[in-house]
Amino acid sequence: MPDKARAPTASGPAAENGPRRRFSRLAYLWRTTTVRLTGLFILIFVVASIVLLAFMAYQSAIVLQRQQAADVDSEIAELMRIEERQGPRAMALAVQRYSNRPGPGIYFLGDDLGNRLVGNIDDIPDEVLTNEGFFTFDYNRDPGAEPEDNERPEAQGFAAARSVVMQSGLRLIVGRDVVERRGFSAIVFQGFGVGVLGIVLLSVLAGALTAQRVLKRIDSISGTSAKIMSGALSERVPITRRHDEFDELAKDLNAMLDRIEQLMQGLKEVTDNVAHDLKTPLTRLRNKAESALREGRTPEQLREALETTIAESDQLIRTFNALLMIARVEAGTPSGAFEKTDISAIAEDVAELYQPVAEDAGLALILDIAPDVSLLANRELIGQALVNLLENAIKYAARDDGKGTIILSVKRIGQRIRVAVADNGPGVPEGDRAHVVERFVRLEKSRTEPGSGLGLSLVSAVAHLHHGTLLLEDNEPGLRAVVDLPARIG
Amino acid sequence: MKILLVEDDREAATYLIQALDEVGHVTHHATDGETGYAMASGMDYDVMIIDRMLPRRDGLSIIESLRAEGDATPVLILSALGEVDDRVTGLRAGGDDYLTKPYAFSELLARVEVLARRSSPTEAQTVYQVGELTLERLSRKVERGGETILLQPREFRLLEYLMKHAGQVVTRTMLLENVWDYHFDPQTNVIDVHMSRLRGKIDKGYATPLLHTIRGAGYMIRA
Repeated sequence: MPDKARAPTASGPAAENGPRRRFSRLAYLWRTTTVRLTGLFILIFVVASIVLLAFMAYQSAIVLQRQQAADVDSEIAELMRIEERQGPRAMALAVQRYSNRPGPGIYFLGDDLGNRLVGNIDDIPDEVLTNEGFFTFDYNRDPGAEPEDNERPEAQGFAAARSVVMQSGLRLIVGRDVVERRGFSAIVFQGFGVGVLGIVLLSVLAGALTAQRVLKRIDSISGTSAKIMSGALSERVPITRRHDEFDELAKDLNAMLDRIEQLMQGLKEVTDNVAHDLKTPLTRLRNKAESALREGRTPEQLREALETTIAESDQLIRTFNALLMIARVEAGTPSGAFEKTDISAIAEDVAELYQPVAEDAGLALILDIAPDVSLLANRELIGQALVNLLENAIKYAARDDGKGTIILSVKRIGQRIRVAVADNGPGVPEGDRAHVVERFVRLEKSRTEPGSGLGLSLVSAVAHLHHGTLLLEDNEPGLRAVVDLPARIG
Repeated sequence: MKILLVEDDREAATYLIQALDEVGHVTHHATDGETGYAMASGMDYDVMIIDRMLPRRDGLSIIESLRAEGDATPVLILSALGEVDDRVTGLRAGGDDYLTKPYAFSELLARVEVLARRSSPTEAQTVYQVGELTLERLSRKVERGGETILLQPREFRLLEYLMKHAGQVVTRTMLLENVWDYHFDPQTNVIDVHMSRLRGKIDKGYATPLLHTIRGAGYMIRA
């Protein structure tokens, strides 16, 4: 089934939706929920990535700073140890050695007046020279300490350094040039930028792929719908083997389409039957009127023709009324007239009404009616349904030997109410039972009997309106028609 | 009898007026609700036949206004809506009877004549008499020429209805509605079977039949 449906669907939607889509494909895409959602997710993802990367960059800067501070502290400790063990001179030499190393290291050893003894920086702010602790400050790179670096246009630097007073009273400042570290930060942030760009590109790509895939599935569904709307009722939405939510949706849609097709089929059958069952008497009517108009008719003949005409049209009106009634009942409209109804009393009334008719047909109408069986129901419709069942039974079970019986029973069994009319007539063959409930269906052998063929359809519709069903059972012999209703009161 | 017909379908109205004229009734005709209401409140009629769906003013609202003004003229509502609910709303609005289109003229005529009689003050009779047949409503006794006739309860009600409208045609549908209180549509001739049983009890063995079948219309009891 899906294979049969898939083949035409593949080419169909593109052909039908093509012009509209091409006209403004982008505008269309932007209108789709999928694309919008994907866009939203990309935005959220990118913002989240930027926040995350920024946090990481910030964190690594802090780690670096801590690392540098730890390096500085360990160098100070080392220099203090040297001073303690080998004296201030050895320590000064060590500072000199450190100063001459290339790199961001900043060293200064001065007397208590702030005059430099050794080191690679100068112009240190007084605050740093008179206090202990960690400072950041502008400094002047000492040209004498790095003679080969003369050409540097600006010797100004920015330092992060610790200032301590040594045992000997000398001031030691050890630090790092922050500009160097900023260089590292720049690298980190550059990497961050590239990362964000990559993330944006990747998520747009992933989003586009997802959106395209979802849109493709949706397009296939809407394509099928378009075909169905244009008349190809047997089209079905293709189902893949992925068993995803789209397949679930497709299955539901297909089930709905099956139902619609079935209803359409039913409607067509009814229309055909209406055409047949109304056209036949209309034709007879017309023929009658035409033959009455022919020359040389006696007044008696004319009168008789007119009377037949009226009788025929009355029958037509009845059929029409029955059809309308079924339609209304099936549409569930007469809900206003639902009230607590004594089913037993209705059954007794109807039985009393039909008792003489049954007797004339040589049938014994036997009642088996439990008292006070009530139901929230439409009295007229229940009455009409019972009348239809009784008329059916009388019509088909009539016989001459006087042994025919009809049993009308009303019973409450648990939460169900069963209203049954059972006869011992010829019955309905099992295969035909479902069939006879349909509109206008009359079994071939009863085609010649009067009646519209709508009786059981109405009973069935009334049963459905009351949330029940009409069951046709074998009475061995005969037919037992049971209206099985849930006992809803109030 | 003077009848007001408020009906917008001119063809149907012409037919009705002509048919009512043939049986001796004078009919005034209005084609819309406002004119109908003006005529109804301006003149006295024996019966009004009002279509439910009319241009300019709804049939039910005409009836409601008339009733509010204390006008008790019997009204027969004509309607293409035949659902039980529609009938109930029609009668609740103040209509006295309800007839669904399409209808047989005999049905309409029988109902109109019964309605017209209803408005005359011969209502609260306890004994009905037609020829030598008497029916006592309180003691539920039926006699013909001094002989008691035993009737089933439903047969009694059937005869009671017929005798209340003695000399008038009552249709099968009217009997089903008034004696059995059902508005459904029986396919077979249920009412005829009951009538023939009743006839067997009150007419059998007597020289002059009282219960008459009116061809194409219904039944009538008369001496």
